[in-house]
Amino acid sequence: MQYEAYAIDTAPGRGRPEAAQKIDIKLRINGSEHALAVDSRTTLLDALRDRLGLTGSKKGCDHGQCGACTVLVNGRRINSCLTLAAMHEGDEITTIEGLAQDSALHSVQLAFIEHDAFQCGYCTSGQICSAVALLKEDHARTDDEIREWMSGNLCRCGAYTNIVAAIREAREKKAAAL
Amino acid sequence: MSTELKPHAIGQPLSRVDGRLKVTGAARYPAEFRPPNLACGFLVGSTIAKGAIRSIDVTTAEKAPGVLAVLTHQNVPKLTEPPNAKDSGGIRIEERIPFSDAKINYAGQYIAVIVATTFEEARYAAGLLRVDYEVERFALTKEDAPDTAKQPEESIGEKLQQRKGEIAAALAKPDLVKIEETYSTPTETHNPMECSATIAEWPDAQHLVLYDATQYVKGAQAVVAQAFNLPRENVRIICPFVGGAFGCKGPVWPHTIAAAMAALVVKRPVRIEVTRQLMFSGTGHRPPTFQTIALAASRDGKLQAIRHKSEMLTSPVGAWVEACGIGSTNVLYDAPAIEFSHTVYTVNVSQPSFMRAPGECPGTYAAECAMDELAYALGMDPLQLRLVNDSPNHPLKGVPWSTKHLRECYEVGAERFGWNKRQHAPGSMKDGRLSIGWGMATATYPAKKWDADVHIQLHAGGKTIVKCASHDLGTGAYTAFTQISADAIGVPVEDVVFELGSSDFPYGPVAGGSNSTATVGSAIVAAAQKLHEKLAGLALADKESPLAGAEAKKIALVGARRLGDGSKSVSFDDILHGAGLKSIEAQGGIKEEENKKLGFQSFGAHFCEVNVDPELLSVRVSRFVSVMDCGRVINPKTGGSQILGGVVMGIGMALEEHTVYDRQTGLPATRNLADYHVPVNADIPAIEVHFVGEPDFAFNPMGSRGMGEIGITGAAAAVANAVFHATGKRVRDLPITLDKLLV
Ligand code: FES
Ligand code: FES
Repeated sequence: MQYEAYAIDTAPGRGRPEAAQKIDIKLRINGSEHALAVDSRTTLLDALRDRLGLTGSKKGCDHGQCGACTVLVNGRRINSCLTLAAMHEGDEITTIEGLAQDSALHSVQLAFIEHDAFQCGYCTSGQICSAVALLKEDHARTDDEIREWMSGNLCRCGAYTNIVAAIREAREKKAAAL
Repeated sequence: MSTELKPHAIGQPLSRVDGRLKVTGAARYPAEFRPPNLACGFLVGSTIAKGAIRSIDVTTAEKAPGVLAVLTHQNVPKLTEPPNAKDSGGIRIEERIPFSDAKINYAGQYIAVIVATTFEEARYAAGLLRVDYEVERFALTKEDAPDTAKQPEESIGEKLQQRKGEIAAALAKPDLVKIEETYSTPTETHNPMECSATIAEWPDAQHLVLYDATQYVKGAQAVVAQAFNLPRENVRIICPFVGGAFGCKGPVWPHTIAAAMAALVVKRPVRIEVTRQLMFSGTGHRPPTFQTIALAASRDGKLQAIRHKSEMLTSPVGAWVEACGIGSTNVLYDAPAIEFSHTVYTVNVSQPSFMRAPGECPGTYAAECAMDELAYALGMDPLQLRLVNDSPNHPLKGVPWSTKHLRECYEVGAERFGWNKRQHAPGSMKDGRLSIGWGMATATYPAKKWDADVHIQLHAGGKTIVKCASHDLGTGAYTAFTQISADAIGVPVEDVVFELGSSDFPYGPVAGGSNSTATVGSAIVAAAQKLHEKLAGLALADKESPLAGAEAKKIALVGARRLGDGSKSVSFDDILHGAGLKSIEAQGGIKEEENKKLGFQSFGAHFCEVNVDPELLSVRVSRFVSVMDCGRVINPKTGGSQILGGVVMGIGMALEEHTVYDRQTGLPATRNLADYHVPVNADIPAIEVHFVGEPDFAFNPMGSRGMGEIGITGAAAAVANAVFHATGKRVRDLPITLDKLLV
């Protein structure tokens, strides 16, 4: 019997290899500009991790289902595995590596350490980027709101209650600072 | 240099010592190393579940841009492994070496690996293979494979078929209240957020370096060295951080061997990351279990007979028994007659393996639901039934527990939860239109300790570097080991640098079975003693030292960086200075011996509240209280997180998780994180964790027992019992989804 073998869940190779192109792009990440030639199929996540050595953004599923790859694009949180690198010329991209100012950690980073809002740390970059945007969106007004609006970021270690506590504290600190 | 001793670093809620690395994205996980010239390997899984590959056409794939090699069973390097390779000392649970023949044993079995210069090129080329299969009828369930039933005597050192007393007679006695029910749990998949990955690099033909996501660096070293017939020391395994594991990174799986083969062929380093989809077939799972439990009790609730028959599935490529009776029926409650048995069936699914509390987790689910049913049959409060049956001895071995504070767990938990306000009748508690259910269950997990060695290097006036080939899976091991080192060596916690995650370091066992803190902690204490002896020797040999002429036996740690004999003392730094040394090293360790006089076991109690919408039948966990007796808690912050994580996974097990296999293809149909539901933030309420009990010094010098697994034991039962209390419906087949509440 003839089967189309497929690497499970990659599209069987119906496209043409020639369709892949090298594209020269400039990405603005954490305040500095990076010029690179990417394969047109390269996701923003793979460009960050494989081409730029910014491995803080994690790959948990590569399908937009876990949030480990969350970065901020023009202040909005997105799944960087679901977007192509070539689509982000001119955007302001912030990754976990860009949140601390000099060596001073962001208030969300500090609160995550204090509340033990992570265990293995693999979802953490995504959780923190997501939380930073959440506070900006003003979607962290109650614990239930935090739970709901953070539900795109899975944590298999199960640190959720501590994540909620950390974000609550960061919100309170932010409010106090205003 | 700080000379101030923080006298009890142990017990402090220290924030994680690796916290800063993790919140800044600087912690480097194995797939994130970048040896120069790194190529990318992409795995291709079989789309049939049983049969053989007749041919694979690789011509188009080989010609695709960037492709360096396509490895299949037709061209992989043949390994010259010695005949005893499977018993290397590491864990090769899927015994078959990948690509070793054309046979297909399960869907998803790797049939090829494409190596290309980039990930995009390799992934693309993977779609260009054409495979011709010989397809055979395959089995997915025990009903498909009745002839494969086996009753193995043992699994990982545990006797699988055991009895005490006359069970049939005990169950037949009149005047007893009896229940007998069957509980089933589905296939569950670990799904740590970090997928398994290996980077393989051959510096020369005789040396191999693997950056491998593993919870057992020494085991991976042993397995890979055997497979490639290399001296063990020629293989290095590096893994400073693990992005979660829950058991799935304990064995060496085929992708690791495949990465080493691929790197050998293309003569450059190769990285293989297992895709999330292939994590469902390539790195183990908890197999489905079917457990029939019979309980008989006298009217006062005292158990008279316990019978626990378990059936489970395994694969054709290795042996694994999900030993549900072990860690539940053999330890929970005593009775004059106890019997448990295990029957395993072989089907065409990928290799099952250990997942968080293997055996204990499904076993305590079934046992604790059965106890709830017995309580209702007796008309007794479920907590009262547990209290009546709390036993001071190991039910099968008959020996006393080293320490056991289960009663305190029940009492503190009941108090925190408000259990005394519970109304017994199912469906009797309401919150507006919602039905409220309160359920509880006992948690338990054995305390284990294995062999380990630790190396200490203490610098005069500086840091103390402590090393062991152990692991931090997110468990907080870096932090706990740092705290134990500080107290054992007698230095401030901030002076300790603990290093782990490399096979270059002294032996550490698999980070499994909740053993690490007890094992490595004991080895730290042993090594610290060696260090103190060496320092004392130097002081005694130094005529100028305040301890010159002291009695060697009396010299001990008397304060931060200080040895003394009771009247005089001297600092470590002065000793080293006197000896003209800048640093001193020592190594020590432990060999585990079985204690035949005591049983070592942790216990706990879970209390769960659910609310159920009467129209939608949606179940939400709204409150959870867990009280644990794990001996001395090294770090209540990170220890508390371990329990939280176990409870969250237990809630997932009760209500969500299910790896469904497609009957047409034999593939896991729910092979991604959208279809395989794990708890998300909104599924999880406030969870309270408390610790009770006392240090278990008979177990180890820290008095601590492990915490990685106990949190999940009994947790699903607490939820299931709460759902029964809310609805009056006893769903005995996990997960409890609303379709099952509808019927
Ligand atoms: S890796 Fe992007 S959402 Fe999972
Ligand atoms: S900390 Fe491990 S997945 Fe969240």
